[in-house]
Amino acid sequence: MSLKVVPQSIEIRNNKIEFENLLFFIIDSTSSVKIEPLIGYDAIIIDSKDADFAKLILRKIRGHYNPEFYLKPIFLINYKESKDPILQNMNDGIIHSYDQLKDIADVAKQIFLKTTQLDYQLVATFEAQMVKKVLNYMYTRDLKTLKPIPDLNSAIGYTYPEISVNFDSAEETQVLEILGWGEKEGLIWPDFFERIYLCNNCNGGFLSYREVCPHCNSSNSSAQDLVHHFPCAYIGPLSDFRNTIDNSLTCPKCNKALRHIGVDYDKPSIIHHCNNCDKNFQDFFVKAKCISCTQDIEVQYLIPKSINIYKLTKRGRTAAANGFLSSGREVEDIFGAISMPVFKTLLHYEIERIKDNTEQKSSIAIINIENILELYKKTGKKGEKSILENIVNLVRENIRTTDFIAFENSSTLYLGLINCDYLQSEADLLNLKTLIEKLIRNNFNDFEVKINFKVKLLQPFNKSEFQLDELTKELFD
Amino acid sequence: MRFLDEFINYMSSVDAAKLFRMFWFFFIFEFFRFFLIEISTIIFWKFDSIFRKKGIADARLSLLKSQPLVSIIVPGRNEGKHIFKLVNSLKEQTYQNFELIVIDDGSDDDTAVICRNLEHNGMINAFYRNDVRGGKASAANLGLRYARGEFIVHFDADCSYDRDAIENILVPFFYNPKIGAVGGNVQVRNYKESLCATLQALEYYDTISIGRITTSELGIYRVISGAFGAFRKEALDRLGGWDIGPGLDGDITVKIRKLGYVIHFEPTAVCQTSVPVTFNRLIKQRLRWDKSLIRFRLRKHRDVFIPNDSFRFSNFISFVENVTYNLILNVKWYFYLLDMLFNFTSQLVFIVPMNIVLYTVNNFMKFLVFSPFRDRKNEGITYFLIYIPLMVFYFGYFLRIVRTTAYIQEIFFKASYKDNWNPAKSSRQAKALKL
Repeated sequence: MSLKVVPQSIEIRNNKIEFENLLFFIIDSTSSVKIEPLIGYDAIIIDSKDADFAKLILRKIRGHYNPEFYLKPIFLINYKESKDPILQNMNDGIIHSYDQLKDIADVAKQIFLKTTQLDYQLVATFEAQMVKKVLNYMYTRDLKTLKPIPDLNSAIGYTYPEISVNFDSAEETQVLEILGWGEKEGLIWPDFFERIYLCNNCNGGFLSYREVCPHCNSSNSSAQDLVHHFPCAYIGPLSDFRNTIDNSLTCPKCNKALRHIGVDYDKPSIIHHCNNCDKNFQDFFVKAKCISCTQDIEVQYLIPKSINIYKLTKRGRTAAANGFLSSGREVEDIFGAISMPVFKTLLHYEIERIKDNTEQKSSIAIINIENILELYKKTGKKGEKSILENIVNLVRENIRTTDFIAFENSSTLYLGLINCDYLQSEADLLNLKTLIEKLIRNNFNDFEVKINFKVKLLQPFNKSEFQLDELTKELFD
Repeated sequence: MRFLDEFINYMSSVDAAKLFRMFWFFFIFEFFRFFLIEISTIIFWKFDSIFRKKGIADARLSLLKSQPLVSIIVPGRNEGKHIFKLVNSLKEQTYQNFELIVIDDGSDDDTAVICRNLEHNGMINAFYRNDVRGGKASAANLGLRYARGEFIVHFDADCSYDRDAIENILVPFFYNPKIGAVGGNVQVRNYKESLCATLQALEYYDTISIGRITTSELGIYRVISGAFGAFRKEALDRLGGWDIGPGLDGDITVKIRKLGYVIHFEPTAVCQTSVPVTFNRLIKQRLRWDKSLIRFRLRKHRDVFIPNDSFRFSNFISFVENVTYNLILNVKWYFYLLDMLFNFTSQLVFIVPMNIVLYTVNNFMKFLVFSPFRDRKNEGITYFLIYIPLMVFYFGYFLRIVRTTAYIQEIFFKASYKDNWNPAKSSRQAKALKL
């Protein structure tokens, strides 16, 4: 038990404060960085002068896939000013003493109120889920725009704190992809801010532009003026004319002294000499060396990207509160799975079939991989599809050929298990859970996925939609 | 018909002495120099080539074995449109150990963009550009400054070359180590474009293909054409390259001769060029060329006529022949005209047509006799035959008048220094220094 020096009316006990019916938890430098125990608290106060520690906690909470974490009000106390964009933009307020608890309590209540208004329906893809997350955050904080902030720690040189908080700085290009997706869906509207060029190998934005020799790519070159002596038409680099004894300029062809530029000589251009390959050239190549991966790239092969200020569109504002339906085409394209409408139709036929054959038992199941978003953050869009394909392959290999699978979104899938009673279905699902966990663990550096599933016997007299809704509710509630 | 009868009667009544008196100009100068000397030299050359055959074959072998690096320099202004064609045609060359250096003398069109692109794609080894125009000599010198080859081959961007042209122009260097420069055989590509171009094609046949074999054999070959010439780099380095033009081709040839090198013409190294298609353009070109005779032969290199330490008889003869047959005879032709006008006034009506007949017969004879000696013919003999009667007017009158104009302009007004072929800044300096 620890006590902090606070106003008499406020008592801190085990880093908890109860104030105006809100339960605050104080994270200080001695606290554990595990955030899962924080779920029961209404708001968090980070009490640390250590900016890196505060940032770590902010990232963990705001980057969490669960809205109960990422929307949680977070305040800073004893904050040592930092230029870090995440730290500056992803807190809900800064206080200097616990006397100001009243102020942040009001903010927390407002956020809390707005949070209760949100719709948490699941969306199909990783991008959709990320955009939904950002929209939810913006809605609860009354934010209207997503502004890029120059950031040395970001791989592309700019950061959008509200979305970048979900990614490591090296994965910042994914932020642009997700914003692009949101733009395509009409949820956000871009206003051009800046153009950047990225490495075509690693997407890094820190590039060193250099003039290099067109023959050997070395930047070790020196430039000289070319001098044209009018009377004898000799032309050569300035060093040809330089008299080593008195530093005067004398024509090497006719031995006349150069007197007056524009009258007896001029300098019509410049010549470069490569000290590496000993060749001469006038038109050097401009190449960009990526500081991250050291790749040397011709500038025309750099990847241009627009950095925009994004504003919420009308659709975006509505979607922030009420959720939105994304096309979900990506998850429907996965070989071995069928689309949700087809799944529902097949389920309807199965219900009709078992109506007539009451002896026959079939089941439906839902599998949700709770933290798979964490994995998609690392793998990006291509990785997401590949993971889903592998999961479908694995599931298909371990169910009957008559069974069918459909993705609700990139973390949730439904199974129709034909002629399979509840016990058998549950055993199948347990087996699938273990296999999927193993698959991910083996392929992604011991990443532990959290898989929840629910099985229900198919009821002959209830509609397919109703039964699926019931199943989903039971899983998530 | 009556005139024809009278003309024939008159001419048949004239004895040999009187014929010679009336047409002395033709017999002494034209027929002697441009037929008798040329035909005898050509026959000797053809005969001699039998004995040289083995030496030439050995020289070729030596060239192909040693594979010296050759620097092809192509100076020019606003020539970008021709460069891609040139680069492609060079891929066909039998001799490939060359570096191609293109020099842009302050072009104001897309030349720089085109050439930079070709350079980036490895089709040109080096491209240098003077943002400020400096004249052709300075552009050529810039190429020379950065050339790495043992031999320098000077090209014009708008010319095309036989696929063995580079090989053939290099062979003489290996046949005779004293050879410092070799001139290529420039032929007219666009000879069908206009009458003007056809007449020039005939002229080039005569003065270049045959005329230069003769002067080369006699050791008095004096102009290596800028369109196609090869030089020992060592010789050019000793001279510091080209001097200010116009007439820089003839000037560099004289300077190399003065160093003691032999200058050679190689008829098998063929280059095709486009000549002016209108008489107006031709006049401009020839005025520039002809002025250079006065500026370079009589002014800049007049020391060739003076016996001193560097005096060489072949150089002296080369200059004397050049000055005699171009300047003196040009003036003398007017004396001849006056001579006829005053001394044969009543017979002038027969002398003029007779002169035309004599020259025309001579031209036909030369064309037919020299044709077998030409390795390359653009077109069968018959194509040109119908144009030969015009040559007397083209060569004997038109070009003579242009030449006279050029000499007067240069002798009395030093007009070559005002020619905008060269930038004014260079011409001012050249004039002040009497270069």
